[in-house]
Order: sequence, then C-alpha cells, then structure tokens
Amino acid sequence: MAGKKVAICAVAQHKNEPDLWYKRFQGMLLDVLEDLQAQTGFDFNEDTGVNTIVSCSDDFFDARTISDNGVTDVLGGHYRAEEKMAQEGLNAVGYALAVILSGHSDLVLVMGHCKESQSESRNMISNLGFDPFYGRSVGLDYMNAAALQARAYMTKAGITDEHLARIVVRARQWAARNPYANAREILEEGRVMASPMVCDPIRQLHVYPVSDGAVGMLLASEERAKEFTDKPVWITGFANCMDSYFLGDRDLTGNVALKKAAERAYRKAGIKNPRKAIDVVEVMDAYAYQQPLWMEGLGFCEEGQGGRFIEEGGPGKYKVNLSGGMLAGNPVIISGLYRAAEAALQLRGEAGDRQAPDVKSAVAHSTTGAAGQFHSVLILEA
Amino acid sequence: MAEYFGATVADIFNTMPERFKPEEAKDVDIVIGYEATGEGGGKWTATIKHGTLKVEKVEELKGCKTTIHADAEIFVGVTLGKITAIDALTSQKLRVVGDARLLMTLLPKIFVPFTVTPRKKAVSARAILATVESRFRPEKAEGVTMNIGYDLTGENGGQWTLMIKDGRCTVREGFAEDLAVKLIMDADVYAGMMLGTIDGASAFTSGQVRIEGDMMAAAATTKFFHKYVDPNAAEAEELICLRVTNSIDQRFASGPVMGRWFAGLKEKKFMANKCPECGRTQIPPREICAICRVRVHEFVELGPKGTVTNFDIVYFASPDPLTGAVRDTPYTPIYVVLDGASEQDAFAFELKKEDIDRIKVGAKVRPVWADKPTGSFRDVLYFELDR
Repeated sequence: MAGKKVAICAVAQHKNEPDLWYKRFQGMLLDVLEDLQAQTGFDFNEDTGVNTIVSCSDDFFDARTISDNGVTDVLGGHYRAEEKMAQEGLNAVGYALAVILSGHSDLVLVMGHCKESQSESRNMISNLGFDPFYGRSVGLDYMNAAALQARAYMTKAGITDEHLARIVVRARQWAARNPYANAREILEEGRVMASPMVCDPIRQLHVYPVSDGAVGMLLASEERAKEFTDKPVWITGFANCMDSYFLGDRDLTGNVALKKAAERAYRKAGIKNPRKAIDVVEVMDAYAYQQPLWMEGLGFCEEGQGGRFIEEGGPGKYKVNLSGGMLAGNPVIISGLYRAAEAALQLRGEAGDRQAPDVKSAVAHSTTGAAGQFHSVLILEA
Repeated sequence: MAEYFGATVADIFNTMPERFKPEEAKDVDIVIGYEATGEGGGKWTATIKHGTLKVEKVEELKGCKTTIHADAEIFVGVTLGKITAIDALTSQKLRVVGDARLLMTLLPKIFVPFTVTPRKKAVSARAILATVESRFRPEKAEGVTMNIGYDLTGENGGQWTLMIKDGRCTVREGFAEDLAVKLIMDADVYAGMMLGTIDGASAFTSGQVRIEGDMMAAAATTKFFHKYVDPNAAEAEELICLRVTNSIDQRFASGPVMGRWFAGLKEKKFMANKCPECGRTQIPPREICAICRVRVHEFVELGPKGTVTNFDIVYFASPDPLTGAVRDTPYTPIYVVLDGASEQDAFAFELKKEDIDRIKVGAKVRPVWADKPTGSFRDVLYFELDR
C-alpha cells in the first residue's frame, strides 16, 4: 500500500459462548473496550484520543433498526464520530483503514458484537436475507443455500463425508487451545459422521454452533501507533468483492468473488505467491466444506482439488485456522473480526498455546450473504 | 347502455364470435341461454354446434340445455374475473339452470377470456367533492355542528364549505362565515390524499397542507366520511403486492445493570444508577456513563413523584407492526424528572387521559401502578397529576 501505513495496535475478544443470557451485548462490549484500554492506555480525549468509532452489528439479530443505537454510549460514540458497518465485520477494519488513510482521523476504534442466541432461530433470520417474493417463499436460508453449494463443491472437488469430519475434528483440536472459542470439546471423526444430517450433505457438526460474542481493535496511523503499542500489526492489503444476489446466477463452486477480492488484496500487499508469502490463514468456515473451498479461492489450493488438499494435510501445512476457526463458534456478522483478531495475535506472538513460530504475514478472510456471496480479504504483517 | 367494470353486457356477446375457438368446440353440441337482469341487461343465446357458434339476442330463452342468470353487474364482473364465479354461485347472485360446471370447464376452453382495455381517467377535486354528501356517515358525527372550509388552489381548485349539522352534510361553493377550520392546499394534493396516493400526515408535515383554525376538528373529520373510492380504480392495471407479516421471537437480556430497574418495578420502585463522577441518574440504568466514560455501580431509588419537563399530544398513533393495534388517541407522553433525579435525566411516561387538558410543564405528577407488577415498563400504567 503506497504511502501511509495503518497499524492494528491492539485486539480484544469476548469469549464466544452459546448463550450469554445473563449479559447484555452492551456489557460484553464494555468488557472488550476496557481490555483494549488496559492494553494501550488510549482514552477519548477530543484532541489526542479516539474520536472516531466504527461499530459493527446486525439489525435483525439485534432486532432494531440502526442497531448501533443500542451501543454508542458504551463505545464512546457520544459527542464523537460513530458509524456502523452494516456488513460483515472485517469490512469495519477496511472502513477504519480508509478513515485513517484519508487523513480524516489518526486513531479509530473498531467494535463489533452479535448475540445469535437472542433470536428464536438463525435460519429464520437468514431467510429474511432473501427477497420476499421468491427466495423467502421457497424456503431458502443460509443453511440450505450452503447445502446446495456443499453438494456441488463436494462433487467437483472430490470431498467426502470423511474429509468433512477431519476438518471438524482438527478445528476442535485447535479450539481447545483457544480460550476465546465457543465449542472446545474434542471430537472423534466417528461422532461427526454420526451427527444428524441437518441439510444433506451438511451434518449438524459441520455447522458452526450458535454463538454470542464481541470483538474490538484499535487502529492508528503509522505516526501514532507507537504511542499505543510496541508490536504494531500492519495492514498491507484489503479488498472485498460482491457476487450476484441470486443463487441461480452464480457459479457456486468457482469462487469468482473471492478470487477477485484476494487478487486485489495480494496486489496491494505486493504478494505474488500467497503459498510462500503467507504464514497463517484465518478463513471464515461457517460450514466444514467451506474451509477447502475458500482456500481454493485464496490461492492455496488448485481449483477443484479440495479433496486432495485435505488428504495431503493442506490445512496444517498452511496453518489454517489455528484459532479453531468459525467452526468453533463465532456469531455470523463479526466472524471476520475474530479472524483478523486471531491473525493479529499470531503476528504479535501472543496466540498462547495456538501460536505458530515466526509469523510475519497473515491473511484474514470473511464472507457474508448466502453461500459466500460477498468476500473480504485482509493482509496483515508484523 | 350501462357499464360495469368498464364494459357492457352487450360487449360480452358482441365479442363472442371473435373469442370463439372452433377447434376446441368440435365435439360440442349445446345451446346456452343467458339472462342479465337490471339496467343494461337482456337475453342472449349461444348455439354451439360442431365447431360453429351463433350468438343471438332474444326475447325468450327457448330450447336451452343450460341457462345462466344474473344481474347485469354480476354478469360482467364474473365474465371479467373481477367477481369469482364460485362466490357468485354460492351467494346465489349467479344462478345456473342445468349444468353449472360448464362455467368452469367448457366455457373457459372454447372462449378466449373477455377483457377490457384499461382507460385511466384523472379524478378532479371537484368530482371528489361531489361525492362528499353521499359518503357522509351521520352515526359518526352525532351531535356535531361544524363548517369545514376547503381552499383548493391551482388549476382545478376552488372554494367549498362542508356544512355538518343535524346528522347531515351539505357541500356548497364558497366559504361559510363561521368556519371551524379551513384547509388550504393545491387541488391536486387534495385529490391525491383522497385517492390514497398522497399520505395526509406527510402532506401536512411537509407543508403541502395548511390548516387554519381547529386542528383537532380537522383530524376528527376523517371519520365522518366513508373512504373515497376511485370509480376508475378497477380499470387500472393490477400490480401484485405481497402482504406478509414477518415475526421472529426474540429474547433480550437485561443484564445485571438494567435488570435492577426491572426488579425495582416489580416492587413499585424506580431504581436508577448514579454516575460516581458527574452524579447523573440514569433511567434505565446503563453499564457506563457515556459522558464520563466510567462504570456506574451505585443504585438510587427515585421518585415516585416527579415534575413534568416536556410533553406532546399524539393524535395519530403508529400501529403496532405485528398486531396492528393502535393506541387510543389522543395520548400524551410526558417527560418527568423524578424526585431525586439529576436535572437533565428526564424520562418518558404516559399521562392519564383525563389529565391531558390540564397538563403543563412544571406540573407535579405521581405514578399509578398495575395491581400485579411483573417487572416491565407496563407496570407503570400512567402518571397522573398530583393534586
């Protein structure tokens, strides 16, 4: 990225939980905010502190329009600039980046939250993501859109039920080392394969568990980053790309949008070959089949070779989702923020039991919309 | 000839030969008699034999295997599909002697459906005003005596007075002397409001409608009249609208901080929390003071009495999006600073209806509680003047 640089100075995660019935999301965010302040010492002073906040939340899960209204007091939004990313959370980082690069602000707080447990059903909410005339009435939701993609992709890439079980087992092994993960119980492949089909070919344990969570990070310009950290994580590339809204218009297995987003982000970061340049990868694998599919889109696996990628230990080789990934449970709208936070911890050498050695560069990926309609890719470097 | 839904009964029979599909009627041998009663009616027979059709206007229905009888309007409506045939049959508005099934089976097969070309006409304010007297609902305006003036500007405009008295409404041109209220707007805005293409409340707030005189009287007048129906509406192209109610149950955590407020309501107490730095009292209690940016731990009981700092009077209530229930209007939200609360932290409650006329800023009020509080905002039924 030419010219100025932007750093992530600190990240903080609320532990993902299946049902935080006893806590408002405002309270969850406050814990995250205080964690960030303790790490960096930033305040909300009008001249020297945070004066711009980018929040991220989902109107339907929060059950209110302009859902940031519920949290601006906690986030420091009162009497300051505050804007909400009504899109997957990784784009809040992209937005904060743009704010700093434009010179509009040199210190930006990014805060995201979501409580999936608050709603009767995730599928009912994602059903409302479809148009009222057609998609909703034929009963589409993200789960069964994903199953359509899963069937097509598994056939194309030679992915079996056993492969999917291996992906889930590995995710849980890493999640067990991640104190912020939701589903940390170790599983055997047999149990995954015996879990009920919820939407053939997707089994219950192929699906990320219902999760409540909150994530925050502090971003600063290069000039100011050192005031808040001696381990800045630099954003060297960011891009996103949108595909067609209508499933029938799309090549569900071709990763068209993800490839474009990845290409643009790599180009900005000066990366020619991600397999050599990237040390750890965090992909938003809401369903097990998505991990190899998105790895194809990110350029770590040849197109249609996902089955072989699993067979040959690709996820281990490229250090994919050492956090446990989304399969270990993050709420949907901020999973990308969790991906970025985990990638940043790896780059800072602060990932505890899940730390990989000598991490110099990382990619964080997120997606939203049915069956990966929209993708975002963030490149981070130590 | 009387028109219904933009067509006459004769149109149906005159177009029959061109709508006939001989190849579908090769094996048909039948004489069908039609009787349309009332204005624009008449009797016709259709003789269908081996792919040929003969339509005749007759004096008497003779030699018919099946006869169809209906009022002319029903006749046209059913033929155009504006009235469902089965509804017309079951309600006896359409009578078939012989084989009723041919309405649904044979006729749609051997005839192209009858249609009319839409002719959309603009409705003028004057034409709408001409219907006011017939749309008046005396039962809704019992005991009302009122003159309402309409000053309609623009090309199609003019001045009218609606005079309501003794259970009758009369319209005359020009203004009466004692107008209770005068509504001033462009004639096209008036027509749009009557046709439902312009929202009345928005037209008022955007300044397209000015009201001189008694605003409440103006609001009340709408219920004195049946809704205006555009006589040309049926001719307009039908655009499909999907009506859906979306409902997903939610369960909101109140958490340990706001939760104290609800726990307090259960005991008929107002429990706010108090910022350790600026001392402001928060209703509902929040984790943090947004101004001082510190956690707030101390709880204080406020009130129960308080002082009104602001209020408004709602005449047009929004319906509940799911139930469609509308609050009884007018109602009055009041902002109250409870005794012991910090000055800037007023909180909204509803005022007792009987007190609306006497409410003013600075008034002292007290809460009236539900018999069995459950820990919700509804536990406070309303506030009333403390006298």
